[in-house]
Amino acid sequence: MSAPVPENFSEGLESLLQHPAIWRGRSAAQVSVVPSGFPALDEALPAGGWPSAGLIEILVSHIGVGELNLLLPALAALTGKDSARWCAWVAPPFEPFAPALSAHGVRLERLFVVRTDQPLWAFEQSLISGACEAVLAWAPRAPSRDIRRLQLAAEKGRALGVLFRPLAVAKESSNAVLRAIVEPTDQGARVTLLKSRGGHRGSVEIAWSPCSIQRPTQGRVMPALQPKRPASSAGSL
Amino acid sequence: MSSRPIRTGHVRPGETRPHAARATKGSSVALSSPPPQQALVFESRELWVALHLPWLEIEALQQGARAPSMPRPRAIIELQGQTQYVVAACERAQQFGVRRGMAMAAALALVPDLETCARDATRERQLLERLATRAYRFTPRVSLVPPDGLVLEVKGSLHLFGGADRLCRALEVDCFEVGVKPIVSLAPSPLAALALARSGKSQLITAHGVGEISALKLCALRWPTEVIERLQQVGVYTIGQALRLPRAGFARRFGKEHLAELDRLTGRDADLRDHFRLRERFRRKEDLLQELEHHDAILAALAPLLEELGEFLKVRQCGITQIACLLKHRRIPRTRCVLRFAEPAANAQHFAKLFGEKLSSLNLSEPVRGIELRSGDLVSCTPADASLWQPGEHGGENRGVAPELIEHLRARLGHESVYGLRVLESHRPETSWAAAELSARNRPPERAVEDHISWFVQRRPAWLLREPQPLVEQNGLPQRHGALRFLEGPDRVEAGMAVQGRIARDYYIARDVNGVRLWIFRDLRSHGWFMQGIFG
Repeated sequence: MSAPVPENFSEGLESLLQHPAIWRGRSAAQVSVVPSGFPALDEALPAGGWPSAGLIEILVSHIGVGELNLLLPALAALTGKDSARWCAWVAPPFEPFAPALSAHGVRLERLFVVRTDQPLWAFEQSLISGACEAVLAWAPRAPSRDIRRLQLAAEKGRALGVLFRPLAVAKESSNAVLRAIVEPTDQGARVTLLKSRGGHRGSVEIAWSPCSIQRPTQGRVMPALQPKRPASSAGSL
Repeated sequence: MSSRPIRTGHVRPGETRPHAARATKGSSVALSSPPPQQALVFESRELWVALHLPWLEIEALQQGARAPSMPRPRAIIELQGQTQYVVAACERAQQFGVRRGMAMAAALALVPDLETCARDATRERQLLERLATRAYRFTPRVSLVPPDGLVLEVKGSLHLFGGADRLCRALEVDCFEVGVKPIVSLAPSPLAALALARSGKSQLITAHGVGEISALKLCALRWPTEVIERLQQVGVYTIGQALRLPRAGFARRFGKEHLAELDRLTGRDADLRDHFRLRERFRRKEDLLQELEHHDAILAALAPLLEELGEFLKVRQCGITQIACLLKHRRIPRTRCVLRFAEPAANAQHFAKLFGEKLSSLNLSEPVRGIELRSGDLVSCTPADASLWQPGEHGGENRGVAPELIEHLRARLGHESVYGLRVLESHRPETSWAAAELSARNRPPERAVEDHISWFVQRRPAWLLREPQPLVEQNGLPQRHGALRFLEGPDRVEAGMAVQGRIARDYYIARDVNGVRLWIFRDLRSHGWFMQGIFG
C-alpha cells in the first residue's frame, strides 16, 4: 500500500483499489473461504471457494446427483484443520457410509449425525453454537423467514451451513449467501450458481474423474494442489 | 448500617501488646473486672462473624415463590396458649404497625387484608443451610446456630478479603442475593458476636474486651426466661452486670452452664462448635402453590432450584454428570426427567436450557403439583478456561463449547438421536461402520487404509441404506424409475464363515434415469438385485 508511485497504469489502479475507503462488492463479500477442491468451481465462486461462514443452499432434483461429492473435499479440509470444530449432519436422508467418508479424507472423529424430525431447529442450534465448522442439513420445507434466521445463525457461529433443498424452490427468494443447482451429467455434475453474493452467476461443469477429486490441504485460499499420488495408481485392485 | 466503627480497642493491627493483660482476668472474685479500658485489650486468636437473621421466618416463606409486584402484607402467626400471636411480620405489615408479639386480632384490626400464615421450619432450615453453603467461600469453619443464626471464624481469611469490614460487606451482599437481610457483627468469640448481632448492632470488634458487650441486654444470650427474670430481680439487666457477679455464687444460683457460657462469651474458655458440613449431593423438593401445566411455568418454578444447585456446585468446586427432576402429579406416578452430561457440568444456566429442551419434548398427562431436583454424584471438575475469542473467530478455536451443543441437541431429541461414526473391520458394507459415542476429546483419529483410498473413493458410495433394498427386475435386469445403466462392475464381495452371515455379492455401479449413481449388487445365491447405496 505504501508502494512508490507506480510506473504503469494497471499497477496504479491496483494500488488505488487497495485503498481501504474503496469498497468493491466481490472482495468485500467474503473474507475467508474454504476451497471447494475443484479448480473450475473455485474460479466461479466469489473469493475462490465456499464461504467459511454463511449459509449456502444446494438445490437438487434427487438426492445423490453429486451434491455430496461436491462438498466432501471442503469437509475434508475443514475437519482436517488443527483443533477443528465439529461437522454436523442434520437429518441426512440415508446413513453416511463411514468408510467412504473416511476415504474422502473427512475426519470421522469430528463428525456427528443428528436424527430429527425438526431439522431446521437442530440446524439453527448447531450453526449458532459456534461449535461447528460446517453443518449440513436436509430439509424439504424451509420457509424463507427461517432461511434468514439460519443465515444470521451461520454468521454468528462462523460456520458453513449447507442446506439441501428440492429443485422446486429455485423460484423462491432466499437470504442465503450462495444458491446453486446441482445436476448430474455423464461424467460428473453441472453446478449452476443462482445467487452468489459478490460473485457471478453461471454454471460450471465438474467431472468425477480421479484427477478431479483432489483433496485440498489445510490452509486458506489456495489454488488446487497436485494430487498426492499419480492418477495411474488409482483404480488398481 | 451506614457507617460502622471498627473497634480495635487501642491496638492497631500489626502492633503487639503484652499478653499479660490476660492475667488480670479471672480473679476469684469477679468474672472480669469492669473495663479499665487498656488492660483487657490484645489481639485475639480467633475472629468470629455472626449473622443474625431476624426476619428469617418471613423471608423463608418468600423464597422460591415469585411474589407478585405488590404482595399483600404478611405475618406469621403462632398459637401460644389460647391466643394466636404474630411472631414475624413482613416489611409492609410493619409499616402498618404490626409488631412481633401482637395478638392476631390486633394485627388484623390494623391491617384487614393481612395474609396470615404458619411458620415453615423446614424452609427456614433450608434457607439457613443455603446461606451456610454460600458462606463457605469465606471460611471452612461455618457453624449453624438454629433457628436464625450463623457464625463463621474468619481470622485467616481477613487478608484475602481485604479486611473485616469488606468481608462483612461481602457477606451481606451474599445474603441480599438470596433475599435475606442479616445483621452482621464481628467479635473475638462467637457468642459475643451473636449477642451483638441479636441486639441489632452490626459492630466489628477485633480485639478481646468486654466493653462493647457489657452494655448489651441479657436477653441477647437467649437464656431461659426464668433465669433472666431471676437475674432481673437482683438488679442484673446487662451482660456487664452479670459478669461482675461472683463466680461461685453465680454458678450456684443460676446454673453452671450459664457460667460456662459467660466464660465462652468473654473468651476465657474456648468455644468449640460443630462445623457445618456441605452435603454430598444436592436434593431439593418444592411443593408448588398451584398446579402447573405449561412447560414455561414448570421451568420457571424449577429455576430457583437450579440456581441453588449452581451455587452449591460452585462452592463445592464440583460438577455433576447426571441430574434428575421428578415431577409430582395428583394421581399418576411421578414423571422422571433425567439429564446426562458428557462432561461434568456446573452451570445453572446450562441446566435450565437443557431442562427447557427436555420439558418441551415431554408429554405430561397431568398437571404438576411438586418438583424435586436430585443431583447425581459430585465429580470434581476444574472450570474450563474461557476463551477471549468467540468460537470460530481468529484464534478462538474453542472445543469446550461442543459438549454443550451435543447435550442441548440430546436433551430435546433424545440421547440416541445424536451420534458419531466409526469404521469397523468388516468386508460386509452394512457392518463396516457403527454409530459411535461422542466425546469431546481423547478419541484416536479414524484412519482410512491409505492404499485403498482412491479405489474406495471411486467404488464406494457416500450414502448407505440401512438395509439393502430389493430392486424390481425386468428381463433379469434391475429397474428403478426405469432401466438402469451400468457404469462399472462387477466387484465381488465374499465374506463370512457362518452359513447365515455368509455373503456373496457382485457389486455394480449403475445410473438411474434421474442421473443418480447407485450402488447395487446381485446376490449370488438368490440371484436377486438389491440397491445398497447411493453415490452422493
